[in-house]
Amino acid sequence: MARVGVFVCFCGANIADFVDVNQVVEEVKRIKEVKFATNYKYMCSDPGQQQIRDAIIQYRLTSVVVAACSPRMHEKTFRKALFDAGMNPYLLEIANIREHSSWVHQKDKKAATEKAIDLVRMAVAKSIANEQLHEISVPVTKRALVIGGGIAGIQAALDIADARIPVVLVEKSPSIGGKMAQLDETFPTLDCSQCILTPKMVDVASHPYIELIPYAEVLELEGFVGNYKAKIKKKASYVNFKTCTGCGACWQKCPVKVPNEYNMGIDKRKAIYTPFPQAVPNKPVIDAEHCNMLTKGKCGICAKVCEKGSIDYKMQDEIIEREIGAVVVATGYSLWDPKPYEEYGVGRFKDIITSLEFERMVSANGPTGGVPIRPSDGQVPKNVVFIKCIGSRDEAKGIEYCSKICCMYTTKHTILLHHKVPGSHSYVFYMDIRAAGKGYEEFVKKAQVDTAATYLRGRVSKIYKKGDKLIVRGEDAQIGQVVEVVADLVVLATAVIPNKDNPDLARLLGVSYDKYGYMSEAHPKLRPVETAKAGIFLAGCTQAPKDIPDTVAQASACAAKVCGLFSGDTMKKDPMISSVNNEFCSGCQNCVKVCPYGAIVTEEIPMSRGSKEMRTVAKINEGVCQGCGSCVAVCRSMAISLAGFSDPQIINEIVSI
Amino acid sequence: MDYTKQIQEIVAKLFAEDKIDVFAGYRMTGFDENQVPVLIQSSGEVSRLVFNDKSVFNLCNYLKYDHTRNKRVGLVVKGCDSRSLNLLLTEGQVKRERLYIVGIACDGVVDEQGNKMQNCEECMFPDALVYDELLGTQHPEGKYKVNSDIKELASKGLVERRAYFEEIFESCIRCNACRHSCPLCYCTKCCIDQETSKLYNGANNTSSAFHALMTWSLHLAGRCVDCRNCEKACPSHLPLHLLHKWNERVIYENFQEHLSGVKEGDRGAFYKYSLQDPDDFIM
Repeated sequence: MARVGVFVCFCGANIADFVDVNQVVEEVKRIKEVKFATNYKYMCSDPGQQQIRDAIIQYRLTSVVVAACSPRMHEKTFRKALFDAGMNPYLLEIANIREHSSWVHQKDKKAATEKAIDLVRMAVAKSIANEQLHEISVPVTKRALVIGGGIAGIQAALDIADARIPVVLVEKSPSIGGKMAQLDETFPTLDCSQCILTPKMVDVASHPYIELIPYAEVLELEGFVGNYKAKIKKKASYVNFKTCTGCGACWQKCPVKVPNEYNMGIDKRKAIYTPFPQAVPNKPVIDAEHCNMLTKGKCGICAKVCEKGSIDYKMQDEIIEREIGAVVVATGYSLWDPKPYEEYGVGRFKDIITSLEFERMVSANGPTGGVPIRPSDGQVPKNVVFIKCIGSRDEAKGIEYCSKICCMYTTKHTILLHHKVPGSHSYVFYMDIRAAGKGYEEFVKKAQVDTAATYLRGRVSKIYKKGDKLIVRGEDAQIGQVVEVVADLVVLATAVIPNKDNPDLARLLGVSYDKYGYMSEAHPKLRPVETAKAGIFLAGCTQAPKDIPDTVAQASACAAKVCGLFSGDTMKKDPMISSVNNEFCSGCQNCVKVCPYGAIVTEEIPMSRGSKEMRTVAKINEGVCQGCGSCVAVCRSMAISLAGFSDPQIINEIVSI
Repeated sequence: MDYTKQIQEIVAKLFAEDKIDVFAGYRMTGFDENQVPVLIQSSGEVSRLVFNDKSVFNLCNYLKYDHTRNKRVGLVVKGCDSRSLNLLLTEGQVKRERLYIVGIACDGVVDEQGNKMQNCEECMFPDALVYDELLGTQHPEGKYKVNSDIKELASKGLVERRAYFEEIFESCIRCNACRHSCPLCYCTKCCIDQETSKLYNGANNTSSAFHALMTWSLHLAGRCVDCRNCEKACPSHLPLHLLHKWNERVIYENFQEHLSGVKEGDRGAFYKYSLQDPDDFIM
């Protein structure tokens, strides 16, 4: 005979104001199996949990129902309370009378109470069929894969490696460093970006626990948390990194000139190149698309000048495999192409550039030696107009969200312009100045005073050319008038967007992504670095636009999660997963087909005991199964059941109301 | 349509070449003009085989029993039968290399009264879609039609339709002949029979029959090939095809004109996801 205890929570006023909790207790007490029912202001608090622990012992309860908030919130808390009282934690059932009743029926207390009673009644009925479940142990491969070698990937890799956990760091381009390596100074303290980044890059290359795989891509990820297997494609670099000393003779002599991606195409690089002088690893690669030897079969100069004989034109892509336990995705972001702003003359006027192009020009190691110039005539501009929210917060042309970093870096740009071009003046067209962050508001305020920049609140409607100047026509909403500014150079703060291949990578990894293409975290507030797929974590702009401090914080958070995951030799896993009853399985393999995690395989078993004839049945990989229940829904012969949501439990629930 | 001679020759040859262990075909009942399925195990029995427009049963049903499991089986399939065979192959119930399939380009079969069967009138795929050799001349592929029975059902409201089915199911005696005769009902233990499920009781009443038949029809939704073995087997002569045809129409209209068993490897609407799938019912 089942003995159920019911504990109804007030949740302060969250539940008690809209649901008559006393009535719920009275109604529930009438159920035959309920031996004890009570309510309390905060069931999740220690005195609340103590009531549960006491009642379990005093009334010899066989299952416990807590009527409170969402199980996502406090299921673990109450399970632990059961465990502490010597009871199997999975004999707990939660009736969510907050999100499912009090919050959504605030106008009708009577109906909300009735619904709450029904919810509790269902939970009681279900709990009667609850079975004792036990956590599953899965072995763990203690090696992490970090995808992306920008500041997020670098930070995550270093933090994990410092905990003496091996890390495989895969970077798409020939050097790590990412977007941060392209920056000149960083807000709000104006440290030199290279000065704070490059030591970390060197640390990555020299760390005994980090295997750096540059110029490579992740092709496949199979397996499950703690036991992933990654296939990584090392793109052919045509340079033997083992013998190359990075002397630079090859790229100095290379005759082919190609727009330099690192400098946003402002200057040229060679077909054999290192992306920038501080690159890590500081070894050149050959751009196969432009190399004369590889495209036309003529040239071979680099091979001739290389004293070490490191050039190998016959090098092929290589696919390597690594066994890993967790993945940190830190693939960064791209910038929005402002082409849709036709009224600004984007593409027609050379003197309209993007912020990152401006950043490269004012950078000390940039193509112009740190002085901004007008692309049209090479003159140093005096009047520069900065336009914010290009693509951001623009549903018509771009995206709805705020890119978060543009307000701050535009402020930084006004300072840099002020420092580098004496007598210059900045005009900033803005919608709002969003400077939420430590020291950010102070930074903006100080910059406005120091640079005496003109801040114009409003949108720019048109840019046109007059002589060799650009006329920027916009609205100053604060005086309610149209203004025209004569500009030498216009800088567009283009929106941060996810990388184009983010959705592909997300699908490859099996994590979800949002409508823009950013990968989705498991919970926006409480699990911001985890994905819904166990063992895969997100750092930096892969998840949403972020500045460097936030990115580094998130990367370190990922590292903490990875270290936590690897803290034992085996990993505990929720036992609420599917299992197959071989007796009933007819081997139709529909479950194999619908499983979103690839957790189901088939196996051959004897037709009957001792029989040589075999038949096919489904088999569930305990480590991979996440307990979604898709297989249960498609199993016609009801051979699959989901622990914690078995048929008797569900039917009890339905019958009880 | 009479392929008796050809089939007898083929089967005799198959046994002579030791290509099969057993052959599923049709024989005369011995007391009237109708036919019943027969399993032939040696070349000596070949003369019992017949095939003409009275060969109505879907022989794929016999692939699920122990007589044929793990043996090399030859069988005759018409267009509709071949679609169920496709599904059995897709769902891993039979292995293609164990089968020798004599396909028929079918002109339609007749019921006991000699009238052409309703499903043959509407047949879209009269020719066997999977075979090792094909007898007869091939037909062009038909067009999807909603028959008058379903149109009439659709004109009824939800409550009325339920009442209609409940009335029909009143004469169900829960003998499960429909299930046993269905080539796609191959489960080791049917969910309706499972003690733990609690969903169905064994009682012989309308509510139990309603539950069982509805479950059955949903388990065949997107899979039923309209061979009507179930109707032929039903001792109460229930119009069971109405359930399946109704589902067939719903699925055809909502899931990219899906027709079951037309291609090997196509599991049907319930087991694949497409961006075009309707989702307007999700709140």
